[in-house]
Amino acid sequence: MAIPISMPKLGMTMEEGTLLHWEVEVGARVEKGETLYVIESEKTEAEIEATAAGYLRHVYVEPGDVVPCGTLLAAIADAPDADFDPEAFRHEHDRATTAPEPSAPAPAPAPAPATDTRTEAGRRPVAPAARKLARELEVDLERIPGSGPGGRVTREDVRTYADLRASLVEVGGGVGLEVPRLGAGDPVLLLPGFGTDVSSFAAQTPALAEHHLVLGVNPQGVGLSDDPELDTHPVSRAAADAAAVIDGPIHVVGASLGAAAAIELALEQPERVRSLTLITPFVRADARLQAVTEAWARIAAECSPETLARALLPWLFSRDWLADDTARERGVRGLAASVARVRATALGRIAAGLRAWSGTRVDDLARIDIPTLVVVAGADLLTPNGAAVATAIPRAECLEVRQAGHAVAVEAAEVVTDRLLSHLAAH
Amino acid sequence: MSRKLSTGRAINEALAIAMESDPDVILLGEDVVGGGTLEADGVDEMGGVVGTTKGLVKRFGRDRVLDTPISEMGLLGTAVGAAATGLRPVAELMFMDFLGVCLDPLLNQAAKLRYMFGGKVRIPLTVRTLCGAGMQAAAQHSQSLYWITAGIPGLKTVIPSNPADAKGLLLAAIRDDNPVVFCEPKLILNQVGEVPEGDYEVPIGVAHLARQGGDVSLVGFGGTVPIALRAADLLAAEGIQADVLDLRSLAPLDEEAILTTLEKTGSLVVVDEATPRCGIASDVAALCVDRGFDSLNTPVRRVTAPHAPVPFSAVLEQAYLPSAERVVETVRALG
Repeated sequence: MAIPISMPKLGMTMEEGTLLHWEVEVGARVEKGETLYVIESEKTEAEIEATAAGYLRHVYVEPGDVVPCGTLLAAIADAPDADFDPEAFRHEHDRATTAPEPSAPAPAPAPAPATDTRTEAGRRPVAPAARKLARELEVDLERIPGSGPGGRVTREDVRTYADLRASLVEVGGGVGLEVPRLGAGDPVLLLPGFGTDVSSFAAQTPALAEHHLVLGVNPQGVGLSDDPELDTHPVSRAAADAAAVIDGPIHVVGASLGAAAAIELALEQPERVRSLTLITPFVRADARLQAVTEAWARIAAECSPETLARALLPWLFSRDWLADDTARERGVRGLAASVARVRATALGRIAAGLRAWSGTRVDDLARIDIPTLVVVAGADLLTPNGAAVATAIPRAECLEVRQAGHAVAVEAAEVVTDRLLSHLAAH
Repeated sequence: MSRKLSTGRAINEALAIAMESDPDVILLGEDVVGGGTLEADGVDEMGGVVGTTKGLVKRFGRDRVLDTPISEMGLLGTAVGAAATGLRPVAELMFMDFLGVCLDPLLNQAAKLRYMFGGKVRIPLTVRTLCGAGMQAAAQHSQSLYWITAGIPGLKTVIPSNPADAKGLLLAAIRDDNPVVFCEPKLILNQVGEVPEGDYEVPIGVAHLARQGGDVSLVGFGGTVPIALRAADLLAAEGIQADVLDLRSLAPLDEEAILTTLEKTGSLVVVDEATPRCGIASDVAALCVDRGFDSLNTPVRRVTAPHAPVPFSAVLEQAYLPSAERVVETVRALG
């Protein structure tokens, strides 16, 4: 039995890290809590402790290598000469970590849309003591990753999860949202798009955090946030949740579905919005957007996050960007990590909600009296009518990035970041 | 005050104290005097197969220390009758393996009489018996059959893990008005330890927490307590702190002590030198799953002998017995 060691994610914006050196030689003994290796990320070195005692059995990554968070770095085994198949172990690790929950083979006949096949996977092993503690602490066992043999959820796992949960922001009705924070200054609220978490703003977050307190809102069903049955369509729900997170007037930045929510927030509670930034916004989910979000939900239920990321890529990025192999593979990794943190059940409900949504009336946009920046992309297949939003909002400026797709904040990160910073500074 | 004694000498001391303090206490068994006929030749008596009762005949005389014929059925039948009619006998069944030829007096007489006579008779009988492996006594003289007596309603079964407990538990057993089987594990017979002087009892039915730790509970009794304590030392070197619970009494079983340590650690390994089926280890595991289910953070594991006769070969006998290393491996694999 070996224990995987993988590149940690030390902050909200960390996507990859450089392994600087191993502190322990292959074959040597290491105690739990002892420094095992040193990484560098975002110009900071960090000593990483061994998460278990044992012998460093195999290393997959050499000093100097740059790898995404979650990449398998090494294996710790019970004995220095324990039977060990590095490739099989890596395969097992990658399969386990790229699936947001222990993966289940999809049933042979395709299930109806919006059903979550992973709930049919059979029961995960859960220690009785963990079950009892989860009952006492009123946390959802289904959402707790298991660290025991065979993925068994232990009492410690429940406690760790409950501690994390305690950091959630309550938005009413007993629903808690994960709201990662970074930096200090005038607060900025980030609302991610359909099926992604706040890491989709990773390119903007470090620069924003130099001047602002950045509050990223992981919507319901995303990351650690709760996933109750939606009682209303996702746009107004996301807007209400965002309103519940903030106190006074705040800069609101939304992308795609997050932008649609930001528009609703600006219409419903304009006094709480200091400035608006709408990245590839939409006011109506057209047939293509509906078709893509429904496919997205279904792939998420049936396939690995990487498969989902690869299927989404052509919808999110421009042709030029896709032509760059390096950028494309980096994009797959980042997107896969982000979509892995979204529950498939939540996606199905949000997609159904979008289909039922009647949209925001364009006439209403004229009522928005808030300084607004609209970012539109010339090669945006999903929400091509962003420019109309800019025209309809009286105090809106428009930044058009011609050579970018829907994920313009990733594809043209610098341009978007610079303009966003100057927009926030001006208001 | 205390001094160091072996378990065998501690038992001998308990017998002497019991006989001194109560004239109704008698000893009977095969060779409990042993060799007494040679007194005239100046040859000392054997005092039983391993010398445990040596010296008692000189002190208390032949009326109170009785050699019986080689008939366990006759010996135990006599003892039950003596207990029912006013004496407080301590019978020695040389090896627990011999239970096969004398079960009826225990199973159907000693264990049942008080119940069937509506409480009008008491059976203050103690049966001392050597049990377990570790002396190369082979398959017919090395079994741990306490699971049989512990499973019979109306019998108590106790098993010490050290000299001090052996003395106190035996005194409590002799003074109990009910039949008690007192097991003497060969693994601890020559173990030497501090034994308090004078008259004291270790209460029957109360387990003892022999070591405190918060990560895992090791439950043992008799010869497996020293094994569990050694395992706890090895585990401590790996940063795992173990509770070691010494059951001391198999019937009645201190269920609350087991459930308390389980609740504290969430993980329990029970170590028993007997065979694994229908035994004390299984009984403890069942208790954990039944009454302690919500405390379980890992599966309950049993470390026992295999389902096989005890081998004669010293090497095989060691491999047969549970070891500290096996306990450590089992704990490591709990995850």
